[in-house]
Amino acid sequence: MTIALFLGLEGVVGAEPLRLVSTTTELESLAISVGGELIVATHLIPAGQDAENFQPRPQDLARVREAQAVLRVGVDYDLWLDPLLQQAGNARVRRGGAGYIDASTDIALLDVRAGGVGPDDGHAHGRGNPHYWLDPANAAMITATILEALARLDPPNAKRYEANRLAFLERLDAKMGEWKRALENAPALIAYHDTWPYFARRFRLRFVGIVELRPGVPPSASHLAKLAREGIEARVGAIVREPHEPARDAQFLASRTGARVAVLASSVGAIPEARDYISLIDYDVRALAPSR
Amino acid sequence: MIEALSFLALPALACAALVAIHAYFGLHVLERNVIFVDLALAQVAALGATAAFLLGHPPQGLAAHAYALGFTVAAAALLASTRAWSGRIPQEAQIGVVYVVAAAAALLLVDRAPQGAEHIRQILTGNILTVGWSELAWAIALYAAVGLAYPWIARALKPSGWISEFAFYAAFGVVVTSSVALAGVLLVFAFLIIPAAIGVLHATRFASQLAIAWIAGTAAAFVGLAISYASDLSTGATLVCTYGAALAIAGIARGLRRERRAKFGAALRLGRWLAAALLAASAIWIAISPRADQPLLDSLEHAFPAIRGAYMDAKSLAIGAEAAAYGRRYRDEADKLRAREAERRWKGEPLDEEEVRRIASFEKSYNEMIRGEEFVTREVRSRAREAKRWWIAGAFLLVAAILAVSLPAWRSIPRSAPR
Ligand SMILES: [Zn+2]
Repeated sequence: MTIALFLGLEGVVGAEPLRLVSTTTELESLAISVGGELIVATHLIPAGQDAENFQPRPQDLARVREAQAVLRVGVDYDLWLDPLLQQAGNARVRRGGAGYIDASTDIALLDVRAGGVGPDDGHAHGRGNPHYWLDPANAAMITATILEALARLDPPNAKRYEANRLAFLERLDAKMGEWKRALENAPALIAYHDTWPYFARRFRLRFVGIVELRPGVPPSASHLAKLAREGIEARVGAIVREPHEPARDAQFLASRTGARVAVLASSVGAIPEARDYISLIDYDVRALAPSR
Repeated sequence: MIEALSFLALPALACAALVAIHAYFGLHVLERNVIFVDLALAQVAALGATAAFLLGHPPQGLAAHAYALGFTVAAAALLASTRAWSGRIPQEAQIGVVYVVAAAAALLLVDRAPQGAEHIRQILTGNILTVGWSELAWAIALYAAVGLAYPWIARALKPSGWISEFAFYAAFGVVVTSSVALAGVLLVFAFLIIPAAIGVLHATRFASQLAIAWIAGTAAAFVGLAISYASDLSTGATLVCTYGAALAIAGIARGLRRERRAKFGAALRLGRWLAAALLAASAIWIAISPRADQPLLDSLEHAFPAIRGAYMDAKSLAIGAEAAAYGRRYRDEADKLRAREAERRWKGEPLDEEEVRRIASFEKSYNEMIRGEEFVTREVRSRAREAKRWWIAGAFLLVAAILAVSLPAWRSIPRSAPR
């Protein structure tokens, strides 16, 4: 334990892998695609659980305490991390420390609201929509941020990290064309939560409306009526929900608009098929692609 | 109107069915003084469904329902057995223990399951607005079966002992498990307790209590649905609040019905003294701290903005109005900008990252300008309040004095009026 701590303080020595803790599974997957064998990555929010309702467990404190790098979504999405970092008392990964990585640093945020900007939880989307990792082009930004941090923490391996990232981007690029073609005439959509603006922007998808305007507040009858009306007008093809969102509300709108329900995953592991970042996007694209 | 009806017909039917069965059980629950038993049993059912899911059964399948039912019946047996202890430990405490342990155990189980949380949640968070035909038909059949069979069984099992207690909790558990999945925990609790409470307030015989509970519960549900549609509010929460209001009205009605005129007069006097005290306290508060929130003045101004004219001069009124107008204009501009960006996600030429960043920074500066205008509005008002605080406090005190002192003269009028 003490030895491990000393090793950590000195930077990375020899074969000891760099310990990185990410808040979400998808960031963990992106970190692995840069760090490869050179890092040991763990995540804090169990796969498929709503990040909004996450409560850290005692072992999470130990994980953060022993980490050399902490990777977070930012944009107020994982605010619960801040008290955890305070409590862990690990200076390396505190805000401003060498091991503190905010993946949103270089992202062009969507839906930055005018009005109501304050420290509220991420799902209120006060500082902008936090679901930016769902645009595969943003994965290039996120991995660049991760690369910069890993090279800073572990300079001897900087070249290898860079090579890993380039290999990942190559795979991503190859997939990107395929994904764009698959979603070329995709019909209009309605989503349960406003999770998909970045995904929509990249793949030119039209989201007609959102069921749950404020997180945790079920929709009103008149809002549902308006959505159903607009959905029929726009010939909505699918009602999009995530596994943790209520099935019944989506089913209800589907029966009103004649659309189907598409269950999408916004995080790695929320659905068994979404094993890593690329298979996550792959799954979502296939779930939405018009059948031919 | 037709759209509203098409959206509210099924929820209204669901409300009527839920009130019909829950008012009946609610009267029993009130009589036994086990108010939170529905929460405990619903949580136990959720625990059963979670266990089934962990064992590899599909979440909405037959096995899940069987597990939920089995757990509920086991909890019913437990509650029936522990009733004997209620001399030492109140039964409500036992029910509370069942509730927290079931909830906590379910959380621990979910932690083991990779995609677990959603299943527990869906069992406890029905939404009456999106209830489907087939599940409602099933529920009505179930309620009818339980509603017809249970009273007969209860009569056959008299005098009451362990078996009759068990039969009550088991029958009730079956009903609650299904209704919570339809309407959610909060609303089911309201359906269970409030109509029954209204019935108990206004009648003594069981049959009349039940009739009153049915009528009041159904009527309140329809009013709540209409309010939720008309004011664009979340349906379940609106219904619960409407039920709360219905109970308050029923309580007042009972007071009016039972008490003598004199007591009514006394209540009126008390109300006016309270109003006078509130005004006097507000007067002191604004005199001491005119820049702080003034709850009474703020809410009066919110209802009647013209009141501002009484203490603000024309110049500060104009400054305030101008700031508010600018704030609205910036908000409109920001909304328009965001809508244009959202449209370009799928229509026309896509925006590049630089343009998106520029839009975000425009949104931010709009936000700052809006805050600036809000600050101006507040500051102008605070200064006016500070300058005129003695006048405002004096006006409040005057009204308070009128309310408190003129009482005897007012009261004598209805008394002397011939009958
Ligand atoms: Zn969100």
